Amino acid sequence: MYEKTQLDDVAGAGNGRGAWSHRAQQTATIKIGAITTLTGRQADFGKQQKTGFEVAIKEINAKGGINGQKVELQLEDSASDVNKGLAAAERLVNAGVGVIINEYSSSIVKAQAQYLSRQKVPNIVVSSSDESITKPGFDYVFRINPPTDKYAEVLFNVFTDMGIKTVAVLGGTGSFEKSVINSAIEQSARTKLEIVASQTYDKGLTDFRPILNGFKAKNPDAIFLVGYQEDSVGVMRQSKEVGLNPKIFAGAAAGFALPDFIKGAGSSSQYVVTATAWVPQMKTPNNDKLYVKLVTGLGGQEPTYHAAQAYAGILVAADAIKRAGSGTDREAINKALLSTNLSTSYANIKFENFAGYKNQNNLSMVAQQVQKIGNKLQFVPIYPKNLFTGKIEFPTPAWDKR
Amino acid sequence: MEIVSQGLQSIIDGLLTGGVYAMIGVGLSLIFGVMKVINFGHGEFVILGMYSAFFAFSALGIDPFVSILFIAPLAYGLGFLIHRLVLSKLLGANQQSTQLATLGTGLIISNLLLLKFGAQPQSFYNESSSNTWSVHLGTLELRITIIRFVAVLLTAVLIFALNYVLYRTELGRAIRATAQNRLGAELQGVDTRKIYAVVFGTGVTLAVAAGVLLLPILSTATLTMNTTFTNKAFIVTVLGGLGSIPGAILGGLILGVVESLGSSILPLIPALGNHFGSNYRDAYGLLIFLLVLLFKPEGLFGRTVKRV
Repeated sequence: MYEKTQLDDVAGAGNGRGAWSHRAQQTATIKIGAITTLTGRQADFGKQQKTGFEVAIKEINAKGGINGQKVELQLEDSASDVNKGLAAAERLVNAGVGVIINEYSSSIVKAQAQYLSRQKVPNIVVSSSDESITKPGFDYVFRINPPTDKYAEVLFNVFTDMGIKTVAVLGGTGSFEKSVINSAIEQSARTKLEIVASQTYDKGLTDFRPILNGFKAKNPDAIFLVGYQEDSVGVMRQSKEVGLNPKIFAGAAAGFALPDFIKGAGSSSQYVVTATAWVPQMKTPNNDKLYVKLVTGLGGQEPTYHAAQAYAGILVAADAIKRAGSGTDREAINKALLSTNLSTSYANIKFENFAGYKNQNNLSMVAQQVQKIGNKLQFVPIYPKNLFTGKIEFPTPAWDKR
Repeated sequence: MEIVSQGLQSIIDGLLTGGVYAMIGVGLSLIFGVMKVINFGHGEFVILGMYSAFFAFSALGIDPFVSILFIAPLAYGLGFLIHRLVLSKLLGANQQSTQLATLGTGLIISNLLLLKFGAQPQSFYNESSSNTWSVHLGTLELRITIIRFVAVLLTAVLIFALNYVLYRTELGRAIRATAQNRLGAELQGVDTRKIYAVVFGTGVTLAVAAGVLLLPILSTATLTMNTTFTNKAFIVTVLGGLGSIPGAILGGLILGVVESLGSSILPLIPALGNHFGSNYRDAYGLLIFLLVLLFKPEGLFGRTVKRV
């Protein structure tokens, strides 16, 4: 177990890299900086990420750390707020960490990525998926999770497979939601599906009835949704109220992929198909063990893809630090990150430049559906079909026939 | 045809939402009308209601339509107490002091809720809350969500009860007298300090009760909703005329209908493209608000007050 020494206090209290004395570097643990939303409206995602970070740190230290030195997580809270997120990034930059992993919300992460790139601090993005974070990208920003076009891609693949012709799109006005909506419009052009309605809403009251009534008038085959936690619950409950009956409801991850979605939306969550970046059923190396560790870390709660991504983010950082031979030399770590090729339980990670993206890990997404197994509603992975045994339940029965 | 059925459905939806806005607005209007105090913590009392109902449901298993029966009296007590402990100390002080006091009380409430529940949204789940009635008019099918209808009925009952108290009872006479002229009422033997406490308690009860009824309607409670509710309350009361109860009711209904119509009808008009949808929901309400301020600045039911 790592114990805090006086030297650490000197290093921690320092207000710039200068405070890191040569001696402190030799004896101190290696610090990996991380930011997440421990408080605020997105705290649920933060809890998942924090667990992922901690599981990875524990794993690395159990294997003897990096080049004999123990690894320590320096975690800062962004409080679900852009400005507080920037302040958190600034604190980590001033504390002299060599690499920073950041959090979930695209609106917050994008500001951090710009700032960290200007400060020339390597930044590993693990969960936020606004395309513009790596397209055109920044010199010091690396992303292990798929951007939003992949979210839309897997759902539109499901649509075309099921013979869907018309789609209505609904999402919030944040960076992430807007990016997903744009991706959906691109995907509709690729798959020749018609978007018959597209609406956005401002954060605030979760009353979607007027929009859903508007959709009902257009009678679309599919409803494509994107939103955070409280919105996802509200949309499904109110779809039932207004009697909106498409053949399929699809949610692009985020709020729709949280266990709380099923809890909050209850029976109205059944049959909803959602994109996700990781599921415990994936056949990646040691994935079952990771699942068990994450469940333990979360105190019995189901882990989401955010936890697995945070876990992988730490492993990528540690791998780069190891190859760079330093926990504080930001240029060396950045160079090492460029040649990353690491197999993790989350996915294989390699930063590539493709289709306008820079330093982006090229992954496809998984689609899962809320299905009733026995008497319990749960997520069942269904796409890509060759990876999973689960089958899609289609079409979604009308609300009054359930 | 599409627009007609959409329009009718939107008006119904708007009236149902507007009913709850009205209840929030009536509380604010009553407090202002009698006490000349602008309650900047009004939105916080609404979310206090939502979280109380959430707590009653999740910890004790009591449905909001039942828990409102004991949450409302508790809210009255809380409002009465806040007046006794805070606002009564500021009698005769300038407006800024009372405004800051209500703002501060609101901050304490929202931060206590933060401490107890955390900032993440709290989902309320009850199978029956999305049940609807369908009404068929020829080929048109209109749907009314049962809990929203009940919420509006309860709002109507509460507002009628308030009206009865104000215009048919001795207490109401004392309240109206205090509103007209505090000193005059005092000289006639009215304990105006007590009247103020009663009025503040009633205003808080209306806000909290609106919160309780909103929980099953919105299905989630979030702490950051407080500013939304405070803003809506201001729009509603200014629309109808500050201090006027019928004005607040009408203001609430208008706001609800305008928001609902704007976000569901405008996207159906091809000439507008897809530009004006629900993303401008708050703007539709504010637009009406601006028009009223421009052409009838005292509000729809307001009276011009001459300052001397």
